[in-house]
Amino acid sequence: MSTLDSLVKAVMDGDEAAAITAAQVVVDDGVPVGTVIDALTDGMREIGEQFARMEIFLPEMMTAARAMKAVLKALEPVMKEQASEVQTKGVVVIATVEGDMHEIGKDIVINMLEVHGFEVHDMGFNVNALDIVNEAVKVEADIIGASALMTTTMPQQKDVVEILVEKGMRDRFHVILGGAPVTREWVKEAGADSWGENAAVAIELLESVMEEK
Amino acid sequence: MYNMWEFLERAHTGPFCEDEDFNFKIFMPKVEEVVEKYDIKYDPKHPVSADDDLADRVWQAAVELFLEVGVLNVDTHRRIMVSESELQEALYHYPGRFWVGDGNDMRVWESRCPEDNKTPFCIFSPDITYDEELMLPSSIAYVQEPLADGVCGPILEETIGMKIKSGAPSEMSGVLQHAMTLRQACRMVGKPGMFLVAVGTAQSDTGQIAVSNEQWGVRPSDARLIGALTEFRIDNELLNKIAHLKQYGGHIGCLSGSIYGGYAGRAEGAAVLEVAYHLVGLTIYQGTFNNSFPFHLHYTSNSGREMLWLVSVQHQAISRNSRYLSTSNGFLNAGPGTEMVLYEAAAHGLASTVSGGHLWEAAPTHNKYRNYATPIEARMACEVGHAVARQGMTRAKANEIVNQLLAKYEDNIADAPKGKSFQECYNVKTVQPQSWYLDMFKKIKDEIAEMGVEFPY
Repeated sequence: MSTLDSLVKAVMDGDEAAAITAAQVVVDDGVPVGTVIDALTDGMREIGEQFARMEIFLPEMMTAARAMKAVLKALEPVMKEQASEVQTKGVVVIATVEGDMHEIGKDIVINMLEVHGFEVHDMGFNVNALDIVNEAVKVEADIIGASALMTTTMPQQKDVVEILVEKGMRDRFHVILGGAPVTREWVKEAGADSWGENAAVAIELLESVMEEK
Repeated sequence: MYNMWEFLERAHTGPFCEDEDFNFKIFMPKVEEVVEKYDIKYDPKHPVSADDDLADRVWQAAVELFLEVGVLNVDTHRRIMVSESELQEALYHYPGRFWVGDGNDMRVWESRCPEDNKTPFCIFSPDITYDEELMLPSSIAYVQEPLADGVCGPILEETIGMKIKSGAPSEMSGVLQHAMTLRQACRMVGKPGMFLVAVGTAQSDTGQIAVSNEQWGVRPSDARLIGALTEFRIDNELLNKIAHLKQYGGHIGCLSGSIYGGYAGRAEGAAVLEVAYHLVGLTIYQGTFNNSFPFHLHYTSNSGREMLWLVSVQHQAISRNSRYLSTSNGFLNAGPGTEMVLYEAAAHGLASTVSGGHLWEAAPTHNKYRNYATPIEARMACEVGHAVARQGMTRAKANEIVNQLLAKYEDNIADAPKGKSFQECYNVKTVQPQSWYLDMFKKIKDEIAEMGVEFPY
């Protein structure tokens, strides 16, 4: 197994310490950092697919994503030296809307987005609609994701869209809704752009949205 | 001796812990550790387990998980820890037997054990929202069911035409409308004192507190559900509900649903976690019962093979090692008006009952679509539950039957039929099921009787 393969395996296994050590070995071997990142991204894509097929579960996916982030952080100085940077597919601001404390669905989507090369700004749960919009403006997001698990918090998803309209910036962001009770009909009623029935569908959809941009 | 104030205090003074550390450094590793230490293994051939030792090991694993991890208050970033002696004290003093509801509609609700011939306490609940104009007829439909010992009514999404928004005045209007309509349905049916678990429309603490009223609302003889946050978390709003209900005198039901495929991982970890949630309910919530709805991350259901194993093992763990009451909340894949949903309901009711659980039935159609639940699915689960308890069915026999039922639907779980809405399955004016659905019910019931279930009628 090459040193690069060892690194990818350590990340996919979620072994953060081993991954950081392996990353240093790979860099010392002179492998260009761009090649390293491409290999890691492929590995994480495989993790996402395994999760979608339920061959692995949330703990494995989360620990792999954490290991990936740790390696990227460790590689930052080398990336600067080699004038290389991770290509982001798009910038996403995501939150569970006000009144709703449920995060697991949102967290799954965040992990999948990150492993597929998106830059994600996670605002957590119980977040006011105006705060979501302001954050999207601040980080110059391409996409706003609003999650709700309760029928009584779904209206706060619509608030996000309405605030964008009020501020005259509706066309600036792609708004995607998520959460167990969300349906295609609700997305239409709320005036949002799309809905991911599950995390895998959402990623595919957002990738195509960014390709069209 | 511990009391409510002690836990409210610990929610603000317990060990500090950031959310991510709680997940990655404390919760997930501990689940993995106890699953391995207690040698807990999923057995697909036995969706209804008959392994007492496995049930007891799941219990021990849950106790260790609960005592060492505690529950994180996400508002204060403090862990509420409970000691072993406090847990033992709570288990010792828990009555295991309650009177619920009022007057002639009062019921005794008491603990069961695996293969018990005491019939399960049956709560009928659609667990989904209905159109505002269907609130009264759908409530009547559930309340009038003969096997219903209690009802948790349909949920409102709109009030006087306004979309209900959590924390907003529309929620206040909606929760009052919900409570009044459900109580009115009880009076109309002739069960004015029926035990209610209400109101599902209220998400906020203020909404729950607002419906406490002995004339038109939720009485001390009724119950309220207080949820747990995923996973092993709580917040100040939930603690507010506990504080209110302890003072008001209402029964507390801790609403817990461990996720298969979530932070606890596979069926084994999710089973341990679900049992541990009952210890949270008993101690921190000081609950009368847990309403337990473990569910599959992808399908939002618990009628698949691995989920029935989880349901079966968790209820055996709880009922063999404590008198704490637990309702088994069916989440089904197919929708009303389909044969598949009736097979699923029967399997869930059967697996839960022979494992010592009580029944809370049922949320069809992946618990997703407004108006897509009827009392007929709950009726199937509860009639099966009553039948198998009365005949003293063994877990081994139940396993045979559940395997036969699974063979009829498990390949279709991912693409389960959506079925028909309440208003398609019922005559909304007379609040009676359509004859075609009753015929389908009878056909499936006859098939299940052929498998060995002795229905009393």
